[in-house]
Amino acid sequence: MEEDDIPVLVDIDEDVPALVETSALNEEPTTEKGGVPLTIICGFLGAGKSTLVRRILTERHGYRIAVIMNEFGDTADIESRTINVSSPDDSTSDLGSEEVLELANGCLCCSIKDVGVAAIEKLMQKKGAFDYILLETTGLADPGPIASIFWQNEEYAAGLGRDIKLDGVVCVVDAVFGRKQMLEDEAVDGVGESLRQVASADVVLLNKSDLASPSLLSETEALIRKVNPAVTVHRTVRAEVDLGKIVGIDAYASRVSAPDHHAHEHDDGCEHEHDHAGPTHYEVRGISSLQVPVPPLSPERFEKLDEWIRTVLWEGTLPSSQAHSSLEVLRCKGMFKTTAGKTYVLQGVRSIYDIAEVEEGEGVGQGEVGKLVFIGKGLGEDVRKSLAAVAGG
Amino acid sequence: MSSDTTPCQSNNCINGNPPSKLECPTCSKLGIKGSLFCGQECFKTNWKTHKLIHDLATGKQPGGPGKDGSYNPFPTFHFTGPLRPVYPLSPKRQVPDHIPRPEYAESGIPITEVRRNSHPPRILSLEEQEKMRTVCRMAREVLDIAASHVRPGITTDYIDEVVHNATIERNAYPSPLNYREYPKSVCTSINETICHGIPDRRELVEGDIINIDVTVFYDGYHGDINETYPVGKVDDDSWKLMKAARRSLDESIKLCKPGALFRDLGKAIEPIARAAQCAVVRQYTGHGINDLFHCNPNIPHYAKNKATGTMKAGMCFTIEPMLNLGTNWDVYHWPDNWTATTVDGKRSAQFEETLLITETGVEVLTAGKPREDLA
Repeated sequence: MEEDDIPVLVDIDEDVPALVETSALNEEPTTEKGGVPLTIICGFLGAGKSTLVRRILTERHGYRIAVIMNEFGDTADIESRTINVSSPDDSTSDLGSEEVLELANGCLCCSIKDVGVAAIEKLMQKKGAFDYILLETTGLADPGPIASIFWQNEEYAAGLGRDIKLDGVVCVVDAVFGRKQMLEDEAVDGVGESLRQVASADVVLLNKSDLASPSLLSETEALIRKVNPAVTVHRTVRAEVDLGKIVGIDAYASRVSAPDHHAHEHDDGCEHEHDHAGPTHYEVRGISSLQVPVPPLSPERFEKLDEWIRTVLWEGTLPSSQAHSSLEVLRCKGMFKTTAGKTYVLQGVRSIYDIAEVEEGEGVGQGEVGKLVFIGKGLGEDVRKSLAAVAGG
Repeated sequence: MSSDTTPCQSNNCINGNPPSKLECPTCSKLGIKGSLFCGQECFKTNWKTHKLIHDLATGKQPGGPGKDGSYNPFPTFHFTGPLRPVYPLSPKRQVPDHIPRPEYAESGIPITEVRRNSHPPRILSLEEQEKMRTVCRMAREVLDIAASHVRPGITTDYIDEVVHNATIERNAYPSPLNYREYPKSVCTSINETICHGIPDRRELVEGDIINIDVTVFYDGYHGDINETYPVGKVDDDSWKLMKAARRSLDESIKLCKPGALFRDLGKAIEPIARAAQCAVVRQYTGHGINDLFHCNPNIPHYAKNKATGTMKAGMCFTIEPMLNLGTNWDVYHWPDNWTATTVDGKRSAQFEETLLITETGVEVLTAGKPREDLA
């Protein structure tokens, strides 16, 4: 060995020495409790995403938070990226210390692991677990595919990466220009770019709300809710929002959290009415959404429902001989029961979905009737009818 | 911890061996405790002596050191088991000019795979299906030939030579060669290696198990197959492991037919693994195969997954479960960027077939004679 290869001594008092790698790898898979929530933050240009991220980092709350900027996904040509890690002891920079996101050791070909995700896991292995991970996408990036990568990664995550759980997608919308942007911006693949982001969001921060008139705020919020019936909207000023409203929201959990509950969040000054029976179908600029009530399902109907969902999500058509133009589901969620008395939760983003049996916990005041929400492209009235026929009977 | 009272371990410490808290990370990785030094400078001065500890700890490898000039290219790497690479690798093998190459043979980059990354699984025409039959039969022949050479004393590089020659004799191209810059024509995975082992100078030892993974490219299509073989007499756990891996593959194949869901295959595999006290590797999946080496669908081998896709007549794909003894399904890569091993040094076995979904069921294109030793 050459002199150059003398390794650098490591302080044994420092957290997470190299040995952690081995012992962590031998751990049993972690349970649902705890974990590292990963939140994807997207939003319109200038809406206040960076302000939000900066605010989260500087307010600290004594947590170790990693912020990853820029696009992610299966980029085979990913270079080393830097990420910012804030830690409780950081008093110098706003954004915390910079860490380099190294590519994971080992060729991942024929492995379903995303290169970028592997790099995050490796960083956690080296530096210890984070409390939160925020992934800020570039202005126009579609958060859906990124969300599905992290969600699927939970099945085969390595080491401390096993704790990373996709928590939700937060979209920052400009209260002043957002509505105009949603109605007029460029359409990609037949869908308005900003609407695509709203469609995939679990939480929307309607930011700069102090600069918009009450009626504009109402209209904008109404538009958002119509495009995405399952989203929670918070009106914010200078991206100020309680961290608990955007991180740790469990938007991809297999828990009973029917869309209704989130949609009923109220902020001060909100004046719109809730129309519970409301439009069950809505379409604007290529994005359509539909909602369907689901009475308790027999085993046969359950199987038919699963067949319907996977045909629509994977094939982009309706089941059996129903000819149809191309459908694309961006997000789906819901809850329903079976005649056997069990409760199930549906979560889906893009073509990835999961129907999981859940224990009934609190907040189950919905009675026997469940609900499914689908947001995407081409989900017209005939699609809603088709789903209603399968689910509702 | 006695860290407060451990003196600097250097035998020529310039500071008089004060209590030290800085640890040699290599020793740490090797599980050697107490290699504490008072500072980097002191450590550097002591380096020549100190590194002997690393050499002792990594030790010589079983199975003989091979010919003169052979060496471990990663002497300070923390290997999880006894297996070590034995370099240098033999020179890159040549493929005669008249043999058609896949697109990545020069550049290493499978461009079309990347481009078709988001496409659904392809339905092959009847003509293409026939080509798949041909190339898969060929892959089976080449594997069987390679397997016939398995015995203590031969190197994995020799197996590579056998596979390479058998392939080009058939006017086919060995698909692994230069695929994403993979250096050899076959993958040879021994003991704790889960997959993608690189053939080198290591001689097989009685008691080893070895997986030989062959893929050939002929007439524009790839055929992919692998099996795990015992080297001489092997222990009971290894038999249990190999049998479970083989059986789990066979049971999953029984589920394949038009309308079956890819996400359900893991349900056939995982119970068999559990019953044999084995874990199913998660990171590596079965894959679509046709004019592309690896394409959609991705087929997880574990239960409860969110894989998309329904089987349709005309689809070609592999199922290739990797089972590890014990409870750890995690994967740990060597610095060669390919070799994937278990994290606890326990053994791993794998079997693979290329399948074609027919109108009524499934055809095992790479089928060979049933392994009597695994019955």
